[in-house]
Amino acid sequence: MSFEVILGAWVATGLTLFILTFLYQDNPLFKLAEHLYVGVSVGYAIVKTYDTVVIRLIYEPMVMQGDWWLLIPLAIGALMLTRYVPKAAWMSRIAFAFVVGVGSGLAIPRVISSYILKQIEDTVRPLASLATDGSTTFTYSLLNPASNLNAIVLLIGVVSVLFYFFFSVEHTGPGKAVARTGIIFLMIAFGAAFGYTVMARMSLLIGRLTDLIEYAQPQYGRATWWLLAATIATLIVFHARRKGTEPPQ
Amino acid sequence: MNFAERMLHIDRRIIFLMIGLCTLIPLLYPVGLAIKVSPEVKSVYDYIEALPEGSVFLLSLDFDPASKPELYPQAVALLHHAFKKNLRVIGMTLWLPGTGMASEVVSRVAREEGKVSGKDYVFLGWSPGASSVIINMGQDLYKAFPTDYNNQPTTELPVLKGVQSLRDVAYVISLAAGSTGIETWYVFGKDKYKFELGGGCTGVIAPGLYPLLRSGQINGLIGGLRGAAEYEVLIGRKGNAVAGMDAQSATHFAIILLVILCNVFYLLTRTSKNRAEQSLR
Amino acid sequence: MTFLRRQLPLLITLVTGLLFAAQYYIPHPSSELMLTSVSKWLQIIGGFALILGVTSLFRIHAVKIRRKEPGWGYSFVLYAGMIGTIVIGLWHGGKETTDGITTTFGWIYTFMMVPLQGTMFAILAFFIASAAYRSFRARSREAAVLLIAAIIVMMGRVPLGEHLIPISGDITQWILNVLNASVRRAILIGVSLGAVALSLKIMFGVERAYLGGGKE
Repeated sequence: MSFEVILGAWVATGLTLFILTFLYQDNPLFKLAEHLYVGVSVGYAIVKTYDTVVIRLIYEPMVMQGDWWLLIPLAIGALMLTRYVPKAAWMSRIAFAFVVGVGSGLAIPRVISSYILKQIEDTVRPLASLATDGSTTFTYSLLNPASNLNAIVLLIGVVSVLFYFFFSVEHTGPGKAVARTGIIFLMIAFGAAFGYTVMARMSLLIGRLTDLIEYAQPQYGRATWWLLAATIATLIVFHARRKGTEPPQ
Repeated sequence: MNFAERMLHIDRRIIFLMIGLCTLIPLLYPVGLAIKVSPEVKSVYDYIEALPEGSVFLLSLDFDPASKPELYPQAVALLHHAFKKNLRVIGMTLWLPGTGMASEVVSRVAREEGKVSGKDYVFLGWSPGASSVIINMGQDLYKAFPTDYNNQPTTELPVLKGVQSLRDVAYVISLAAGSTGIETWYVFGKDKYKFELGGGCTGVIAPGLYPLLRSGQINGLIGGLRGAAEYEVLIGRKGNAVAGMDAQSATHFAIILLVILCNVFYLLTRTSKNRAEQSLR
Repeated sequence: MTFLRRQLPLLITLVTGLLFAAQYYIPHPSSELMLTSVSKWLQIIGGFALILGVTSLFRIHAVKIRRKEPGWGYSFVLYAGMIGTIVIGLWHGGKETTDGITTTFGWIYTFMMVPLQGTMFAILAFFIASAAYRSFRARSREAAVLLIAAIIVMMGRVPLGEHLIPISGDITQWILNVLNASVRRAILIGVSLGAVALSLKIMFGVERAYLGGGKE
C-alpha cells in the first residue's frame, strides 16, 4: 500500500474522530474539523466552478470554436456581481430578472404537466376494472398497489388531505370527519417518513464506522486505535483545563 | 423525581453509546439474515436486464459525500449490472461536491469490468444549473457537454456515436440525495424527451417519490442502503450494502426499544401524577 | 433612469417568462433553437450564482477575523483549508486523477472532504435516537398512529424485522405504496399549485422580493 493512502487513512480517521467528539461535548477538536470541512468544501467548489464554467463552458467554446454568443450570458453573469458595488447594485436586478423570468417560464408548464395533471390522472381511476369478457371486476388485494380497493383508499387519502389543508371552508359537520380522516393519513405518512429517516441516518453511521473498522487494520498502521487513544487523551486534557479555569461554585 | 422520571431525563450520551455499539457489533460480527427484494427495486433490475446490448444507459450520480454510504453502493451495483450487460454507459452528476466520487466510482467499476473510457463508457462530469443542464442535454448533448471529464471532445467519442440528445438514451437512472435529482430529471427531462426513467435515492427522500412511482413517471425505485442491498442480492454480488444490513437491523430495533421505553416511562409518570392529583383532591 | 432600475427588470421577467412558457407548447425548430441557446446560457449564469454564495461566506469570516470575535482563529483554519484547496486544485487543473493516478487535489477530496462531510451527517444518527427517546410519545391518538406507523416501517425495512414478523414487510409496502403515496400526492399537488401561482405572480410583477435591495 502506498504512503499516500496510509497517510490519507490516518488523516481521514483523525478528522472523523474529531467530529465524533461532538457527541461528548462541543470542543476545539470538533470546531477545528468543522471549519476545515467548510474551507475545503468551498475551495473544492471554487476549483470545480472555475474548471467547468470558465474553462469548459466559456473559454473553450468561445476562443477555440468562436462561439461569441456566449458573451451574452457572460455579461448577464457579470451583472449579477454588481451586487457588491453599492452604486451599481441595481444593475444586478436585470440579471436576476432574466434568470427568474426564464426559470418561471420553463417551470410553469412542466410543473403543471408533471406534478398536477399526471398526479390527478393517476388518482382519478375507474373504481372497478373491465375484464376481457366484458364483465366488471373488483380487485381486493391490498398487496397489489394497482388493485381497485387500493385505488379507492388512495382517492380517499388524496381528497381528505387536500381538504384538511383547505382552510376556506370551516371544518365542521361532515367536513370535520373528512379533515380528521386527512389527519390520520398524514400521521401515517409522517410515521413512514420518520422510519425512513431513521433508516437513512443509521446508514450514514454504518458507512463511517465501516471506514473506521477498515482503517483499524494492520496495513493502515492501526490508525483508528492510535488516533482514538490520542483523541480521548486530548479530550481529557481539555476537560481538566476547563475545570481548572472554571470559577469555584 | 421517581424512577420513571429519572429514566426520561437520562444523559443522552448513554443513548449515543447504545446506538454506537448497536452499529459497531453487527459490523464486526455479521449474522447475514436473508434480504427480501421489493417490487420497486426488481423493476429497475428487470428493465436493465431487458435492454439490448449496446443500448445507452445514463447514470446521474446526484449526491454528495454526505449520502455516500447509501448511494455509492447503489451506484456500484448498477454500474456492474450495466457493464455486464454490455450497455454503453454515460456517467454524470448534477451535484458539484459529488464530482470526484462519481468520477471515481464510474472509472473504478469500469476498470473492474474491463471497460475502456471513451469506447464503452464516458464520464461527463458536473455542470451548473441542474434543470438547464437537463434541458440542454435534451436539446443537444454535445452542447451541454462539449468535452468529457478528461477533456476529450464528446463529438469524437465512439461511446456517444448516434447519441445526439436525451431522446437517444434508452434508460436514465438518477441516484438522488435531494430534489435536484429524480424529480428534476422527470420534470425537465422525461416529460419532454420521453426516455425511460428509474430512480435510486436516500431513505430521507424515498417516501416522497412514491407518488411518481405509482403514476409510472419513474419505473422503479431503489431506496436507501436497504435498496442497494436488494440490488446487490439481485446481481449476485454482495458488497457494502448487504454487509451493513445487520447493523441496520440492530439500530432499528434499538430505536424501537427506545421509543417503547420512553412511552412506558411516560405512562408511568402520567399515572403517578394523576394519582398524586387525586390524593390532593 | 427609473425605467432602467424599476420597470426594465419587471419587463424582462414578464417577456422571458411568457416566451419560455409558450415555448413548451410550440416546439417549432426556431423556438427549440432558442431553448437550446438559453439553457446553455443558464448553465454559465449558474456558475456566477455560485460565486455570489461563496463571496458572502468569505466576507462573514473576514469580518470575524478583523473584529477578533470569539473563535476567530477557526476562521483562519477555514481560510487555510479553502486557499490550500484552491491553489492545489488549480495546479492540478481541477482533476482528482490524471492517467489513473490520484492527484493531491484528489487526495484532499478523498481523505478530507469525503470523511468530513460524511461524519458531519452521520452524527445525526445519534441525535435522531436521542430525539426519539425524548419526544416520541403517544400524547394523543394521532401521535399514537404516527408512532405505530413508524415502528411498523422501521421493522418492515430491515431483515431482522421481516424475519421475526414476516408480514411487517408487506404492511410496510402497503403503507408506502398506498397510504404514504396518497398523502405525498396531495402535498405534491398542493405545493405545485402554489409554485405555479408564485411563478405567475413573479412574471406579472406582483411578487418582487427576488429583485432584492440596492439603491433605487
